[in-house]
Amino acid sequence: MRDTNNMEDEMEYDDGEEEPSFSDPEDFVDDISDQELLGDVLRDKPQEADGIDSVVVVDNVPQVGPDRLEKLKNVIQKIFSKFGKITNDFYPFADGKTKGYIFLEYSAPSHAHEAVKNADGYKLDKQHTFRVNLFTDFDKYMSISDEWESPEKQPFKDFGNLRHWMEDPDCRDQYSVIYDSGERTGIFANDVKEPIEVEERARWTETYVRWSPKGTYLATFHQRGIALWGGEKFKQIQRFSHQGVQLIDFSPCERYVVTFSPLMDTKDDPQAIIIWDVLTGQKKRGFHCESSAHWPIFKWSPDGKFFARMTQDTLSIYETPSMGLLDKKSLKINGIKDFSWSPGDNIIAFWVPEDKDIPARVTLMQLPSRNEIRVRNLFNVVDCKLHWQKNGDYLCVKVDRTPKGTQGVVTNFEIFRMREKQVPVDVVEMKEGIIAFAWEPNGSKFAVLHGESPRINVSFYHVKNNGKIDLIKMFDKQQANSIFWSPQGQFLVLAGLRSMNGALAFVDTSDCTMMNIAEHYMASDVEWDPTGRYVVTSVSWWSHKVDNAFWLWTFQGRLLQKNNKERFCQLLWRPRPPSLLTADQIKLIKKDLKKYSKIFEQKDRLSQSKASKELVDKRRSMMEDYRKYRERAMDMYNEQRPLRLELRGGVDTDELESNIDDWEEETIEFFINEEIIPIGDL
Amino acid sequence: MRPILLQGHERSITQIKYNREGDLLFSVAKDPIANVWYSVNGERLGTYNGHTGAVWCVDVDWDTKNVLTGSADNSCRLWDCETGKQLALLETNSAVRTCGFDFSGNIIMFSTDKQMGYQCFLNYFDLRDPQQIEDNQPYLSVPCNESKITSAVWGPLGEFVIAGHENGEINQFSAKSGEILKTAKEHTKQINDIQSSVDLTMLISASKDCTAKMFDSTSLEHIKTFKTERPVNSAAISPIMDHVVMGGGQEAMEVTTTSTRIGKFEARFFHAAYEEEFGRVKGHFGPINCVAFHPDGKSYSSGGEDGYTRIHYFDPQYFDFELEA
Repeated sequence: MRDTNNMEDEMEYDDGEEEPSFSDPEDFVDDISDQELLGDVLRDKPQEADGIDSVVVVDNVPQVGPDRLEKLKNVIQKIFSKFGKITNDFYPFADGKTKGYIFLEYSAPSHAHEAVKNADGYKLDKQHTFRVNLFTDFDKYMSISDEWESPEKQPFKDFGNLRHWMEDPDCRDQYSVIYDSGERTGIFANDVKEPIEVEERARWTETYVRWSPKGTYLATFHQRGIALWGGEKFKQIQRFSHQGVQLIDFSPCERYVVTFSPLMDTKDDPQAIIIWDVLTGQKKRGFHCESSAHWPIFKWSPDGKFFARMTQDTLSIYETPSMGLLDKKSLKINGIKDFSWSPGDNIIAFWVPEDKDIPARVTLMQLPSRNEIRVRNLFNVVDCKLHWQKNGDYLCVKVDRTPKGTQGVVTNFEIFRMREKQVPVDVVEMKEGIIAFAWEPNGSKFAVLHGESPRINVSFYHVKNNGKIDLIKMFDKQQANSIFWSPQGQFLVLAGLRSMNGALAFVDTSDCTMMNIAEHYMASDVEWDPTGRYVVTSVSWWSHKVDNAFWLWTFQGRLLQKNNKERFCQLLWRPRPPSLLTADQIKLIKKDLKKYSKIFEQKDRLSQSKASKELVDKRRSMMEDYRKYRERAMDMYNEQRPLRLELRGGVDTDELESNIDDWEEETIEFFINEEIIPIGDL
Repeated sequence: MRPILLQGHERSITQIKYNREGDLLFSVAKDPIANVWYSVNGERLGTYNGHTGAVWCVDVDWDTKNVLTGSADNSCRLWDCETGKQLALLETNSAVRTCGFDFSGNIIMFSTDKQMGYQCFLNYFDLRDPQQIEDNQPYLSVPCNESKITSAVWGPLGEFVIAGHENGEINQFSAKSGEILKTAKEHTKQINDIQSSVDLTMLISASKDCTAKMFDSTSLEHIKTFKTERPVNSAAISPIMDHVVMGGGQEAMEVTTTSTRIGKFEARFFHAAYEEEFGRVKGHFGPINCVAFHPDGKSYSSGGEDGYTRIHYFDPQYFDFELEA
């Protein structure tokens, strides 16, 4: 309270009453805290710590003067308010222009994260691409210690020569066999006489096996994931943990493995499909997946640089090794039905069906440029299927159409000639329904099975250089539902699998002759070896419970072996890596083929008289038994000697020369031959 | 190998046999003449004339003194080997199918066919008792009711005769009592030929069931089986190698009518321990009816349906050849 005396001095009152003073004394300190008084307001007081997590730093912002600042702020606001409410912004100035970086504060840290995720790399214009970072990140990176510790060195795991099987002096290809209804898996080398067992293990895989595309690894399936085996002794090279894995796929270069499991997918952590790095075993990226109906979901470009998948109206192309989307975004293709990579180049073919008045289209797109190198319009399309030739030289699009005014479905083959300028397209019309279609590998022919059971026909076409596609030959009344070309081309097997009771026809397409017609009753699979010399037909226990076996034929259809295996399930040839020879070297070898043939024939003759290991063992044991018997017999024989001497009056006849003293020597001359040799005039 | 061709018969050969020392080879055929040849060069020593029908079997004793033959003219005859003189004629009721001297050369046996109401008999004569020969009374005659004897050899010490029957059975008949001592029922069809190894410890039987089987002579234990695709007419065991040779017919479709210079019918060689075929010798123009090894094992002979007997001396490679083991 103020001194009333002072008050009189300071103030002049009109004649009236004295006002009471409500002032605090000068030395009064109140004992009520701010919290008690203003609690609710204090709660909203901005904290220094709060702000930091929600702050982003945007770099590469155009440097503008104050006249353009308003416009800049509007643009920033428009772009960045998409991620959340911007509560604060700060545009530092220097020399009359904005510095080029700004600070934005969001109402929550999650908004800041969104901004970083989506706006980082945003191209404002040609010269300005935003870089967006969390403010806290700066801190993090600044506080990294200056001292660099080198990462711990992992011990080198030597798996030996992973290509060991290629060094077999007799060039025997290997194949995996699963039998005993999956209990046993064996690896065999293909010898003409009989399969040579290389490795065999019980419960090596829980379901089935797969070879990597170049044959380096054998992948086995287990509840907990995939294991890769290789090298001479098939040691375990790598393991990928993916609970409940069902399907796998390899990149063509064998650097990556894609695994699918329907079990462990969660919203935040996509785990349905995982891509792994083979050499390090690291998980590279996970993806969601709704259904595994069309495995492989991810299709690889032939050089392994890209992989792509199709979802509703979208084609997502990713690049390796970053595993990120190419150009950071997917392609929007409305209605996309199917796509596939060319096996020879980084070209994707895809098709979209009719959309109101826009006809159906097949498009060929070059990656990574995304240039559409060819578009083909198709009319009245019901369905399309894409068939690439093995080297990417040709693409065949099988188009099922319902021509206007009719109700039936007609099929055309649109043949794209990829190696010619501007990719010309030729059409082959088919009069009957198509059962199977297959390109000749390394060649320019294709085979078509058409018609309806029981009248099935096979036609062979040749795509010629002069722009024509000729029907070379047609065979009718075939018992076939599948076409299997030799991987080197020229020869093929027409097979009537499963319901057609295993009818087989071996064809040489160079002159379209039937080399042999045979049968493997109830055959379920046909597999060519990678060189095209042998064909294996097999009856799998998975499709037929009796007579499980695999038969080995030559490419001409001569049956070599019948291998019965208890509950045989699957045979897969081990693929070969691409040849290291140049085209010129191959030409040279072909020229000298006669010379090499002689050496091989000699070797073959020798090997035919060489016995297999099993035979040798059997012989050894037989000889041992025989010797033992002979010993016993000779013992008895020797015991009986006195009896023998007695029977023959003391004359020892046990050996031919026993009584040599009794022998008389007589020299007889008899006429053998006469030869007249003229000595000449003496 | 260089074959020596013996042309001395007008009909197909029924049996060939070497003497113990191997210098002589006897051959009999469906014609009535029995021949004897020098095995070294194929020169014929002489003939034994007297039979009037096909001669089914021949044997020579250990000392090369006597020769025994059995014929379809219902007789079994004994001859002096050197001179060719007929020493004894033993008449029978039916054809004599098989005959042989025992180890000592004193006792002979022969079997007669089941023919014209007469049974198959196995007869034993002791040559030391001239009365038996004169009276044509075997000291032992064993009837075979079930299946007739098709081929027989003596056991190692003359105690029993080992006979092969039409039904594939092999029986040991005691030479003293005539009772069956042991039986082996391994073959499923007729036994065509039985031959002993040179030391008489083993025997090999050739059968119409397309196999030849090796047995231990004393125990009749079945030791080995050699399988072919055609009926085996005859088989023999090599004296010095672990080999057996077999002769028989041939697949009808394998025989071509084009080449007539060399016959396509083959003698087949098997490894005795491994039971695997390792070689064939062509040459006969008809099925091979009888094979025999020379006692020194360096050559073998075969007699065929074509009437020829071929003597083959082995090349050095034959003795070096080994199957991988």
